[in-house]
Amino acid sequence: MSPRPSRRSSPIPLKPVWFHILLALADGARHGFSIREAVEKRTDGAVRLWPATLYGSMRDLSDAGLVEALEGEDDPDDDQRRRYYRLTPRGRDALRGETDRLQALVDAARATRALGSV
Amino acid sequence: MKRLPLSVRFPLAVYRTLAGLMPRRFRCEWLSDAERDLERTLAATRATRGSRAAWTEGIRAALDLVARIPAEWWAARGGRGRGARSDGLGWGDGIMSWLIELRQAARALARRPGFSGAAVLTLALGIGANVAIFAVVNTVLLRPLPYPDSDRIVALRHHAPGLDLPELESSQGMQNFYREDADFFAALAAFGTPDRNLVGGPRPERVELGAVTPEIFDVLRVQPVMGRPFNQGDVAEGAAPVVLLMDAAWRSRFGSDPDVVGRTIELDGVVTEIVGVMPRGFAFPSVGAVALEPMRIDPHGPFGTFGLPAIARIADGLSVADAQSRATELQARIPEYFPDLTAEFLRQAGWTVTVQRFQDRIVGKDVADALWIVLGTVGVVLLIACANVANLFLVRAESRQKELAVRAAMGAGVWRIAAGFLAEAVLLGVAGGALGVAFAWAGIELLAANGPAALPRVHELGMDATTFGFASALSVVTALTLGAFPLVRYGGGRLARALRDGGRGTTDGRARHRTRNVLVAGQLALALVLLVGSGLMLRSFQALRTIDPGFDGRDVLTVGMSLVEGADNAEAARFHQEVADRVATLPGILDVGLTSLVPLGRGSANGGSFYVEGIERSDEELPPVSMYKVIAADYLASMGQELLEGRTLDRDDWQDGAAPVMLVNASFRDRFLGGEALGKGIRWDEEGTYARIVGVVADARERSIREAPGPWAYLPMRVADWGYPNLSWMYVLVRSAPGVAVPVEAIREIVTELDPTVPITSVRSMQEVTAAAIAGTSFTMVLLAIAAGVALFLGAVGLFGVISYVVSQRTREIGVRVALGAKREDIRGLVFQQGAWVAASGVVLGLGGAAALTRLMRSVLFQVSPVDPISFVVAPALLLVVAVSATWLPARRASRVDPVVALRAE
Repeated sequence: MSPRPSRRSSPIPLKPVWFHILLALADGARHGFSIREAVEKRTDGAVRLWPATLYGSMRDLSDAGLVEALEGEDDPDDDQRRRYYRLTPRGRDALRGETDRLQALVDAARATRALGSV
Repeated sequence: MKRLPLSVRFPLAVYRTLAGLMPRRFRCEWLSDAERDLERTLAATRATRGSRAAWTEGIRAALDLVARIPAEWWAARGGRGRGARSDGLGWGDGIMSWLIELRQAARALARRPGFSGAAVLTLALGIGANVAIFAVVNTVLLRPLPYPDSDRIVALRHHAPGLDLPELESSQGMQNFYREDADFFAALAAFGTPDRNLVGGPRPERVELGAVTPEIFDVLRVQPVMGRPFNQGDVAEGAAPVVLLMDAAWRSRFGSDPDVVGRTIELDGVVTEIVGVMPRGFAFPSVGAVALEPMRIDPHGPFGTFGLPAIARIADGLSVADAQSRATELQARIPEYFPDLTAEFLRQAGWTVTVQRFQDRIVGKDVADALWIVLGTVGVVLLIACANVANLFLVRAESRQKELAVRAAMGAGVWRIAAGFLAEAVLLGVAGGALGVAFAWAGIELLAANGPAALPRVHELGMDATTFGFASALSVVTALTLGAFPLVRYGGGRLARALRDGGRGTTDGRARHRTRNVLVAGQLALALVLLVGSGLMLRSFQALRTIDPGFDGRDVLTVGMSLVEGADNAEAARFHQEVADRVATLPGILDVGLTSLVPLGRGSANGGSFYVEGIERSDEELPPVSMYKVIAADYLASMGQELLEGRTLDRDDWQDGAAPVMLVNASFRDRFLGGEALGKGIRWDEEGTYARIVGVVADARERSIREAPGPWAYLPMRVADWGYPNLSWMYVLVRSAPGVAVPVEAIREIVTELDPTVPITSVRSMQEVTAAAIAGTSFTMVLLAIAAGVALFLGAVGLFGVISYVVSQRTREIGVRVALGAKREDIRGLVFQQGAWVAASGVVLGLGGAAALTRLMRSVLFQVSPVDPISFVVAPALLLVVAVSATWLPARRASRVDPVVALRAE
């Protein structure tokens, strides 16, 4: 199957869920549950990644080439083997790109007089 | 392992089940992680926030899963591997693998066109027959009449068994009575189907009209598409004559003229204005009516003369049962309305009223019964067809054992293998259903074109959504039934045994043939039920055919003539006599008679109460009642009706100034006159001259071939002078020498020469008239016989197939036996024995089934008991003969097995 160029060429803007996941993976590989905990912690529980959404997104992200799975790392929390994920260079680029895009948005918003006081 | 609390376990189980809807890729790669995460989350939530919170979390996770399903399928599209492995979880995957299974099944079936063709054709016959008959049942019995809220339209009938009048329509007086007092009817109308002479075409034409009271438009809730409906002004005295054209007449006779309203036609010599056109498809009161004319109800009409069909729409909020009880109550007030009737008279007459759904009235119970029986019959044929195909299936399954063994060895479960059969069954069922619908379509077209005229609503016949739904459901049920057979065979761990059994043994395991034997015995049993049923119908038909109707209809032609209504009776009588005289001079004509009513023919009979000279009748006593008709010329000779006493009527009897005379039949004589009729005086009115009885004729079945003839009087043509049936409508009965064709054109010329405005109608031989009278029975008989024939054929094929197969499987064993010295007769006997066992079981089962089921046929049988011994002996005998023939060929083949060849074969 040939890759879909349009999707590959630019993942930006990222879906918010993707952004959170990529962000959680920015400081190192994690397994699914750990990603979930990280996202929840970072957002104070505002963003909850339910399993189907989480793993569905992981599949989306691997399909898009933004993350890759590392087989067979042990989870220190329990004795079962879990699949770990880490950012690909492309994923890191996407995270950076999305952050820049958001930053630009935020700057634009702050520059607006109506929101000047924010 | 530590047991999880319910608030964790249950949501997890639900989650796992729902996850089955996910594509395989997701389930393989991520589901276990997802489940583990969920378990951990739920356990943590429960520990920190209680089980209630855990339940909530579980539900949210499940919803999240469901919401994610489409995205996963979207992502998974295209990248499917073949022959997906099933782990028993995935429904979604199940769908995908089903498609694959179906494709494989289609390929497998295509590789064996013989098997597939036979199976599809057998199923198509069964399904097609069922769909066709269902279409008839649906059209005639189930589909509502084409009027708004047609369930609320009812027919009124009256009954006076005490007067020997079991079935009466309504009358003018009763119409007025109901119109005044029956508030439980929203609208009440009466109708009739008069025939009129339509003048203006190349030759005068007799056409059928619908005569309706203006209220009919409220009862049926139908309006003309053009012009106006009738109103009370059209039925006022002296109103100008008007008609409403039916759609077909408007198209054919007036070329769809958009300005037809206001034009005129000539009916019975009266110039009549067209005031409108009825919508397409409107067929009331009959399909043949070309126009509607307004019918006037005389506001002072009498109670009697019950020949007026009444139809009503029930008032809102009432049911048919309500209307029935209110109408019954209302009958008690008849004496108030008709002062000359006493309550005592009504009681003696056994006077009652029936309010019946108009639809039921149209169809009638006889037809409904016959149709249900036929539908049941073709259902049985489908069962047999299914059994046959199932047998083919089983045989095929056996021949595929090596393949199945390989599949099983490679880890395919029983259900997996069964799914393969099911897929084939579904394909066969669908293909058979599609072809069956095509067959049904053709059959329906055929039936609509050639169906018996006695079948009501036959013009509405066609396929509709309900019929298609029925066809689809039937195909699905058929497919599932077929697919279930291999399950029965291989379910529950029997697969391994079957496979072990099927190795290179000497002879098949006995159990392996059991299913097939049971199937064939069942087929034969069902076929026997149908054979017995059609035997009963045949015997009824025979009884009807051989019944002596009291006349001899061979070589008799009936020709209807109709004068303009209202013509002078004396003139009409002279005209008819002149026609008869001239026809009698044609070559080859033996006798010519005249009558107002052809025996067993269409048209309503007249009847009434009468007075016998010298017998005083008290007011309280019920008067004697008899039917009567007019006869003239050589009626008795032309119909071959026997004169028992006295003389027949001759041409002097209808001349002016002749003494009034009449004939009666034997029933009349014996019931009313104590066996002595000649010379007695009869009159039909309290006042007036008595007519002398000058002759007694043998009883003849005038109205129905099924019922014994009642009392009849035969009157000369001058009876019309007394206000009884006018003579505008008479039939000429022409008996010709055997083998001589009656020259219909010559008769037409004679009539035209005498009066060019008189049309000739309904030219029918008496044989046709008699055949029409038993058409219902012969229709049912023919359909049942066809069904039984097909059933017998399928049953024989099934038996032949099974015995042949057994012989082919036992070739080796037979070879050994022959080698050890068994004689050919022994071998033949061996095979025969097996066939005989199956056939005998079928006969026993079938006789039981027939005894239980044929009682349902009671209403369509005639002079035959539902357990008629002859049918119950002949049918099994026939079945056994066929079964023996079906066994003979394979038995012969078995006896010719060459031991050398047989033993070398493997």
